Amino acid sequence: MDEYEIRELCNDFFDAYQDGRVDVLRRLMADDCIIWHNVFGRETTRDENLEKYPDSYQGQRRRTYNDRIINTFDDGFVIQYTLNGVMKTGHKGALWICIVARCKDGKLTRIDEYMDTSKFAAWMGGPR
Amino acid sequence: MNKDWQTLELCDRFFDAIEQKDYDTLESCYAPEAVIWHSHDGLYQPRADNLAMLKKGMEKQTKTRFKDRRVRAFEGGFVQQHTIYVTREDGFEGHMEVCFVGYVRDGMISRAYEYFDTGQIEKFIGPRPAKEASR
Repeated sequence: MDEYEIRELCNDFFDAYQDGRVDVLRRLMADDCIIWHNVFGRETTRDENLEKYPDSYQGQRRRTYNDRIINTFDDGFVIQYTLNGVMKTGHKGALWICIVARCKDGKLTRIDEYMDTSKFAAWMGGPR
Repeated sequence: MNKDWQTLELCDRFFDAIEQKDYDTLESCYAPEAVIWHSHDGLYQPRADNLAMLKKGMEKQTKTRFKDRRVRAFEGGFVQQHTIYVTREDGFEGHMEVCFVGYVRDGMISRAYEYFDTGQIEKFIGPRPAKEASR
């Protein structure tokens, strides 16, 4: 994949995440795609991850993936972004996240996600 | 390709210098205008403050190791994922998963972004004394 294809895959993936298009996410992730989160310290499969997608939206009205800074390398990309959320209470929150991904043949093969869980409560509008 | 090689070498030199407590080499890796951003406060730390923090760590910590380094170079910088292991004076070995994104100018790091989870800080600094933890 060239730089433009990788960049397009990255944006398509985050647009689909933003729009709740699980069908598109499934298409953009390889069957054996691995997702690792620093929060849990363990790897999950594509299907496990997508199954939990609706749960991850609990209490939230809208999520947008903004301020995307994308840099590509031979077999993937790193994206730094702000996850803006509007909760059902009206509270607005932001989280800074970094993802390093590997790609092959037009699909994501591995996703490593780094975020700070100490910011979750403030993001959701709870006590800081 | 040559540029990639130089970027990867800079990345290794930077993290090796911290491991080896080689402050002069560490300092030479930062451009004069370098700023370092951390995900726990979202602020850009000035070069001098960051160097002072790293120097203090070199003096206080028995051992620092960056293991499982996975590095990729991109146009204008690099990303390194690693697990940092720190052995403290009391023998406690802390660890933390980190993603470090470095932007490079003229062979030096001019801007860096460091992402980690302070929600798991006790794995890194060790259990806090009961009095402090209850604050």
